[in-house]
Amino acid sequence: MLIKRKSSDAARGKLQAALGGLSSGVMDRRSFLRRSGLVAGGAALAGTIQIGAVRKAEAAGMGPATGTKVVTNICTHCSVGCTVKAEVANGVWVGQEPAWDSPINRGTHCAKGASVRELVHGDRRIKYPMKLVDGAWTRISWEQAISEIGDKMMEIRQKSGADSAYLLGSAKFSNEGAYLFRKFAAFWGTNNVDHQARICHSTTVAGVANTWGYGAQTNSYNDIRNSKTILVMGSNAAEAHPVSMQHVLSGKEINRANVIVFDPRMTRTAAHATEYVRIRSGTDIAVIWGMMWHIFKNGWEDKDFIKSRVYGMEAVLREVEKYDPKTVEDITGVPEAQLKRAAETFAKVKPATFIWCMGVTQHTVGTANVRAICNLLLATGNVGSAGNGANIFRGHCNVQGATDMGLDVGNLPLYYGLVEGAWRHWARVWDVSYDALQARFDEVPAKGGRPARTRKANMETSGHTSTRWFDAATMPSEQVDQRDNLKAMIVFGHGGNTIPRIPDAVKGIEKLELLVVADPHPTNFVSLAQRKNGTYLLPIATQFECSGSRTCSNRSIQWGEKVVDPIFESANDYWVIYKLAEKLGFASDMFKNIRMVRGKFGMEPEPESVLREINRGGWSTGYTGQSPERIKLHMANQDKFDVVTLRGAKGSPVENDFYGLPWPCWGTPEMKHPGTHILYDTSLEPMNGGGAFRPRFGVEREETLPGGAKRTVTLLAEGSFPKGSEIRDGYPEFTFGMLKRLGWDKDLTPAEAATIAWIGGNAPDAVSWANDLSGGIQRVALAHGCIPFGNGKARAEAWNIPDPVPTHREPIYTPRPDLVAKWPARPDERTLRIPNLHTTFQKAAIEKGVAKAFPIILTSGRLVEYEGGGEETRSNKWLAELQQDMFVEINPADASARNIKDGQFVWVSGPENNSKARVKALVTERVGKGVAFMPFHFGGWLQGVDQRANYPKGTDPIVLGESVNTVTTYGYDPVTGMHEGKVTLVQIAAA
Amino acid sequence: MSGKKTKEALDRRGFIKVVSLGGAAAAASVAPGLVTPAEAYDPGKEETKGRYRETDHVKAFYRTNGY
Amino acid sequence: MARMKFLCDADRCIECNACVTACKNENEVPWGINRRRVVTINDGKPGERSISMACMHCTDAPCAAVCPVDCFYTTVDKVVLHSKDLCIGCGYCFYACPFGAPQYPKVGNFGSRGKMDKCTFCAGGPEADLSPAEFQKYGSNRLAEGKLPLCAEMCSTKALLAGDGDIIAKIYKERVVKRGYGSGAWGWKTAYKETIAI
Repeated sequence: MLIKRKSSDAARGKLQAALGGLSSGVMDRRSFLRRSGLVAGGAALAGTIQIGAVRKAEAAGMGPATGTKVVTNICTHCSVGCTVKAEVANGVWVGQEPAWDSPINRGTHCAKGASVRELVHGDRRIKYPMKLVDGAWTRISWEQAISEIGDKMMEIRQKSGADSAYLLGSAKFSNEGAYLFRKFAAFWGTNNVDHQARICHSTTVAGVANTWGYGAQTNSYNDIRNSKTILVMGSNAAEAHPVSMQHVLSGKEINRANVIVFDPRMTRTAAHATEYVRIRSGTDIAVIWGMMWHIFKNGWEDKDFIKSRVYGMEAVLREVEKYDPKTVEDITGVPEAQLKRAAETFAKVKPATFIWCMGVTQHTVGTANVRAICNLLLATGNVGSAGNGANIFRGHCNVQGATDMGLDVGNLPLYYGLVEGAWRHWARVWDVSYDALQARFDEVPAKGGRPARTRKANMETSGHTSTRWFDAATMPSEQVDQRDNLKAMIVFGHGGNTIPRIPDAVKGIEKLELLVVADPHPTNFVSLAQRKNGTYLLPIATQFECSGSRTCSNRSIQWGEKVVDPIFESANDYWVIYKLAEKLGFASDMFKNIRMVRGKFGMEPEPESVLREINRGGWSTGYTGQSPERIKLHMANQDKFDVVTLRGAKGSPVENDFYGLPWPCWGTPEMKHPGTHILYDTSLEPMNGGGAFRPRFGVEREETLPGGAKRTVTLLAEGSFPKGSEIRDGYPEFTFGMLKRLGWDKDLTPAEAATIAWIGGNAPDAVSWANDLSGGIQRVALAHGCIPFGNGKARAEAWNIPDPVPTHREPIYTPRPDLVAKWPARPDERTLRIPNLHTTFQKAAIEKGVAKAFPIILTSGRLVEYEGGGEETRSNKWLAELQQDMFVEINPADASARNIKDGQFVWVSGPENNSKARVKALVTERVGKGVAFMPFHFGGWLQGVDQRANYPKGTDPIVLGESVNTVTTYGYDPVTGMHEGKVTLVQIAAA
Repeated sequence: MSGKKTKEALDRRGFIKVVSLGGAAAAASVAPGLVTPAEAYDPGKEETKGRYRETDHVKAFYRTNGY
Repeated sequence: MARMKFLCDADRCIECNACVTACKNENEVPWGINRRRVVTINDGKPGERSISMACMHCTDAPCAAVCPVDCFYTTVDKVVLHSKDLCIGCGYCFYACPFGAPQYPKVGNFGSRGKMDKCTFCAGGPEADLSPAEFQKYGSNRLAEGKLPLCAEMCSTKALLAGDGDIIAKIYKERVVKRGYGSGAWGWKTAYKETIAI
């Protein structure tokens, strides 16, 4: 098989030329990192690993060959929800195969998804429970861990109250884990329970829910294939949600769609756009209002849509008038012609969809940003149909589900607010007494000029947000609106480096009496500070080591089967939550209707049974039709679903269903509601997945006009209704009383009527679609073609939240102090349980001349290889090899002015706490002049100090680096407490 | 998925139970310093035979790559 | 007879590196060896494009032409494989390869190279199909299992195509026609010397 040398000699010149073309003068992130990092990390490791050293083979043991089985689970990284096909032999996960049948990923993965097998082989996982004894990590048993943690929690409860223990949950829980954790908080007696949604899309949920009813993505990844215009703002989907780009790029190609990317940074997503618009970080509202200015000036708005389905657009118009092209260009840096072109395209080339992520949400004006975008969608009639909508790409694999399950300071599961009616609803579902639940909550004494709170009032008061947990630990008690400061952090599956002000967080960690980290990896909660005692590490299994359902961004619910048993001494969330509840004395009540099955360490809650309890209570969000059986049937019939419509094929067992029964999936499972692929879609019957905007803000409203005159206007839809509706106009939410007025109460079965009577007591008329445990009210409404929650208008003006009509506000650390007089930050206020000093900080920054001393805008974002705080992914050798160094992207002009060479170490210093971070410089035009970018997945270094020694031996991630949040700063959204993660000011100098 | 694994064909992952037995030997075979005579490698028919087949698995790949 | 080819659609590739980790996962490739990698040109500038690269299994493979021990061979599927038993780790093939495919593990403390390692198109090596010895030296043999290279099978945006050259050329052409643009199938002509108009 010899090949003639002569023939290839001739070809050689050409081949070398081709190679030269690629390598000369080209510098990308990989080659940069290869040069800078591989030598150190690579050489050290390469020496120890031989080719073909098949660890998986060793792990599989030498038992008889029994063949492999294929287990279906869902990727545990982003919210796209890619199906993972795991090949398992002898209890060892030995290979991954493409899941061709999944309508979501169709076999594919990103770098993270294609390497998830490593997670359950991870030799850097926590292997057994540990605690710190005088600064040394000591192995303990599960029994000892649970017992000591429980005792300490009870001690803190006696001394400081239930609110002094913070329960930080996870977007990586399954729905069942998230629900149990929320329920655990209710039984413990606190609303101090939160998870990563706080720091990713809390402002989206608040903004979107306050506009049209539900805080979720309206359409789906797949539906983007129908779009003709795709506007992406503050989302780098190519790195954060790579598989979503399969649908985005398909849509772009099939429809020759416009893809317009707004971002301060020319992202990898922008590289595939038809138009890239560079904006200044933190000026999103001015950009959107600038587009609206053109739209209304030119009459491109959808007048019929606004008239029939939108309330309050006049108020928005009055604000938009201030944003003429010159003003907008001054604020945002976007030229008039470009913004006008984008506006015209978005309004006229329909259907148009708006995709956004953390670039929009992580701001002091996050909720207002979201509401501005909603208004753009409403003004152009781009909500509620195929190809349009608010395609909010959520972050973690189950951040949608964990949000749905109420892992939130202001909600019970399924968005039932903290009001008495909601508590009573869940008390009925849980089969416990409302009074007993109430008795678990603290009484809060009067302090700081605030009145005292009874147990009932405290039960109905939103908790403290995760973004500022350390402030609640370190601030004077008087300023913290609960009985006492925070004393204990119980952290399940949550990074410690994902929120700003790390130097302050370190003080918080040191102050805690009890720190419990329950996670597959130690996280930065453990490594950031040098605690001596009172610190526990619990090894938790990943979702590949247990079963359960998870909800992807598009609200589809998928079931994951356990691939392998939890490795080492890891335990799943269900068992650990159960054991803690048992130790604290409320397990028998909390789990009274949940089936217990034998697990790794004994009896544990069965996820199917937990989901059935969720089904029994989840009426408000349509989480009632998705029984475990139906979801599993979908998983087994993935190939029957259409990739664009997500509809199940005719004649198949899943005929007419939408894939994953995206919520709302109304009524009981037996009603066979197909789920709702596209929210608020009036072109379908509600029983077939149709809907309307949800009138959750009343039925009418008295307005004061600019002249002072008053008028009352309806908040119900006018002349718009879902297909097949017997009520051919707007209508309020369904109650038993309304059924009686319509004469439809006769359609209720006797059993349904009896349940309604039991719930209603002496006021049965008030029993509604949301708390009727029989589902009868929903069933009857749907039978008459009506949507149970009513048919209302969306709100352009959200009168009951801060900045009812969004207005541009300069970031606290603004590079343009000259604009602050006209566009100031909000006045100081209190957000939830703590002060929120927007103006004080902004003023101080201006007085100190921060913009001069720190002239570079710092923004942050994701890398494709890593996720979140990054401890898990930086411990995965296949991923870690690809990104070995933390870096800062800096524009060539800024670099040369500072004599900074590509690849060298620099100090990035921030304006608070004399903070600084030592990172490598990546000189690139990806960021504009005066702008720097840092990824947020790194940790383990603090202000130049390598903290590897703080990890228990063998659990340190392969790659460590400075966290961007060491230099990020103060700033919190007034509605949700979301941090400002995308705009601060820094200085950069060669190190 | 492919359903194409035939009974007599070695199960793809099946071999790994045996691998750990041969681990040391295999590692030695790639160790440095083994001098190999510089002869042309002359693979037999078995090595160069065609293995590609348009199985259901392969067809699924082609299908999902189209629109 | 089908002729195996890779084709990376640069208008689809988003540099997500799924191909890289899928390869690592499937073949248990150790740290420091990358059978496949993604190269980005014009990084951070307008016109930025990424291409996933590995051994292209050339028609007239230059690696084979320069190998002093002639350890390369081409299968009937036109997959270029080599024998690690013969390879002396000299590194000539690395210099000959236009795609930078050959890789060498560092096996000693003085920079000495081990046997060359490269993409096998997930087709193993000279040892018996699907044998442990084959896996340890060359990784998996998906072609023998009736599958294709996992890198392409798992590509997030369906940018990386692999398989029968005629079929993937057709898929690519359909895309170019549908979307009205195409930046050319990078590396195709270099590897396969064909003037096929894609």
